[in-house]
Amino acid sequence: MTLEAKRVVVGLLSFAFLASLIVVAWVEGLKTRVNPEPEPVLTDDSRACYSCHEDKTPAVTAQWNDSVHARKGVGCYECHQAKKGEIDAWQHEGKWISALVTPDDCGKCHADITAEFQGSHHAKGGQILGSLDNVLGEIVEGTPAVNAGCKQCHGSTIAFQKDASGEIKRDKAGKPLLDPNTWPNSGIGRINPDGSLGTCSACHSRHSFSVEMARRPDSCGKCHMGPDHPQKEIYEESKHGIAFVTADQQGKMNLTARPWVVGVDYNAAPTCATCHMSATRNQPATHDPGKRISWTLRPVISKKQENWEEKRAAMRDVCSACHTQDWVDGHYHQYDSAVNLYNDKFGGPAQRIMTALKEAGALTATPFDEEIEWTFFYLWHHEGRRARMGASMMAPDYTQWHGFFEVAERFYIELIPQAREAAHGHPEAEKVIDEVMAMDEHKWKNGLDPEQAKKVREFYEKRYGVDDE
Amino acid sequence: MSTRGLMGFLRSRFPVDPEKITSSLNEPVPNHMKRWWWCLGGTPAYLFCVQAITGILLTFYYVPEPSAAYESVAHITFEVPFGWWVRGIHKWAANFMIVAVVLHALRVYFTGAYRKPREFTWVTGAIILLITMVFGFTGYSLVYEQLSYWGATVAAELTTAAPLIGEPLAQIIRGGDEVGAGTLTRFFVFHIGVLPTALVLLLVVHLGLVRAHGVTELKFKVDAKKKVQHFSFFPDHLLTEIGIGLVLITVLSCFAVIFPAGLGEAADPLTTPEHIKPEWYFFFTFRWLKLAGLGTAVLSLGFAGFVFVFWPFFDRLIERLTRRNLAVPIGVLAVLAVLALTIWEALAH
Repeated sequence: MTLEAKRVVVGLLSFAFLASLIVVAWVEGLKTRVNPEPEPVLTDDSRACYSCHEDKTPAVTAQWNDSVHARKGVGCYECHQAKKGEIDAWQHEGKWISALVTPDDCGKCHADITAEFQGSHHAKGGQILGSLDNVLGEIVEGTPAVNAGCKQCHGSTIAFQKDASGEIKRDKAGKPLLDPNTWPNSGIGRINPDGSLGTCSACHSRHSFSVEMARRPDSCGKCHMGPDHPQKEIYEESKHGIAFVTADQQGKMNLTARPWVVGVDYNAAPTCATCHMSATRNQPATHDPGKRISWTLRPVISKKQENWEEKRAAMRDVCSACHTQDWVDGHYHQYDSAVNLYNDKFGGPAQRIMTALKEAGALTATPFDEEIEWTFFYLWHHEGRRARMGASMMAPDYTQWHGFFEVAERFYIELIPQAREAAHGHPEAEKVIDEVMAMDEHKWKNGLDPEQAKKVREFYEKRYGVDDE
Repeated sequence: MSTRGLMGFLRSRFPVDPEKITSSLNEPVPNHMKRWWWCLGGTPAYLFCVQAITGILLTFYYVPEPSAAYESVAHITFEVPFGWWVRGIHKWAANFMIVAVVLHALRVYFTGAYRKPREFTWVTGAIILLITMVFGFTGYSLVYEQLSYWGATVAAELTTAAPLIGEPLAQIIRGGDEVGAGTLTRFFVFHIGVLPTALVLLLVVHLGLVRAHGVTELKFKVDAKKKVQHFSFFPDHLLTEIGIGLVLITVLSCFAVIFPAGLGEAADPLTTPEHIKPEWYFFFTFRWLKLAGLGTAVLSLGFAGFVFVFWPFFDRLIERLTRRNLAVPIGVLAVLAVLALTIWEALAH
């Protein structure tokens, strides 16, 4: 190529480069500022709701803006839509909607999760009508206490206001009026008008539906706390809860990850969700926490759950993300021993005495009208659960001082003297009390010399495999 | 002051004869270099200039701190005017530069241009190739996205397998026990300071040697009968280089538009990606690592790198020992092995 030709080629190439710069400038002109946070997606159906409620209930729309639902175009109408004729449906601004969003509505998208949840103990939390707790709340205390208390966790049976003819009352716009004794309610076992059980918003609070919030212990702590089932406080006392506080402050919990696999996506601490619901390397997440619980610690006497071996294996799998098999074996040994001790020494004998007193006619058929019934209730429902639950989640103080210590004090200092007083004149009942107090576990009441103390200790070691010192 | 007066002023202050400089640079260029594909030696140097300019522009906005690095790259890409274009050119020029250096090395190797007396031209060039790869690695890591973060983590792990110096070297690279703030600062300093300085110094030596020894002359049959066997650097060869440069910058610009530099997920030290892959030019090392195991791979790659850098001396040693010239078959085998490992890794999940 001649020098002249080269010059021409270089000139042409220069023009080609300039042309490319024009393209670059054109692309730059098209560029819009990219918001790192994707915008909420409003469907045509939800746009009208949003524009009005943005003014009327601004916090609701703001919470939704930050939700994953907003990113995916699941808006107001997608969840609140209803069909004409449904009991809670009404026509609002031209669309049939319902204020109540039930698991059936969530299940339109989250079918598997909803089905799993419907089968859980959580979803049945509202079915407490026949329980002793319900008698205590509804009758001994009074309905308002139940509506604002018990049912805000257990869930209400959603009802409507009705007129004299039994028709559902409606406001001027045609909206069916919910019975204020049953609504608002976010109890996890709520019984809904469409027949579905529970509410997803018990854990996935509307309208942010935050998975992070659901994974935090505070979410469970709305209900799993207090004197009768202080799981939240027990967790906080345990090494798990202590680790969580620090890990959370250090931003190590990765609570928004999907999936959220212990030992993979996070490893600094577990939350309630980790052990009872979330995924491990070997099992998927579940919305039925009962799948990993081997004992029921709720009743007077604890029982192993149906298929408890399978459930325990599932929980052991969670433990194994952080603990060796020996460690897990040791924990379950301590836990089982503590529950057996409570059952055999206190829960079971106390139940036996109460049954004997009732059968002998020493107590009335009315619950909670006699002091010993309150004493017994405290023993198993409060202190007995604290002792068992404390052992289940490795909280030493709840196991001992808030648990077994108070169980023992209630049993020896209150229940037995009250039982003897009630049994006076009822030899069958007195015989049962004597039999209970003649048990090896209770012989110490007769006085202990060093040899006897040694025998008692050996008895505990043999029976429960633990040293009681 | 008149022009003549100004020139006189400058010449008295800078007593250098421009004519002499021009003539010293105006080396006679052999006829084979009239074909542009024999002119790839200048391409890496040109691309290095592109990288220096775009790199300086990117440094105006980049923040070498873990909590801000990814966001600053996002800012450059999505918000700074023409930031996406500058970043795109920087990214593609880095890839082109590696291709250009490798092609140049292959040309030199298979034409035997590294032989006496040009051994150290090869040695400096080979080190330039290695530095170019380290440039690519450190630059990619600065983006601080998931893959680049975990790529750096894997690289640091590899380093620990080196005998004796492995662990302290990994500590030096990471600036601590884990890839984090210390690592990012070090990578940044290397990427914009240490490596460019080293590369410039090596380039000066490399080009000085090229000028001193002259370009290795390749005789083509069509050129054999020509009376003049050389042509001048100015302006003939310079025009060829400018032409190549214009084509390159145009292609780079097009690549930046058509295949813009993307941005993956932000680095998350808690979440290991399912598949970690380095940049394509490290595929062969990554595959070799999987095949040979950590210790063997690191040692063998270290040895291969050593042989590559000092190949002219190994070549002569092999020739003396075997009395045969095995450079071409060895080169072909090496190229095929690197290609095979690269393709294997590229196709693997």
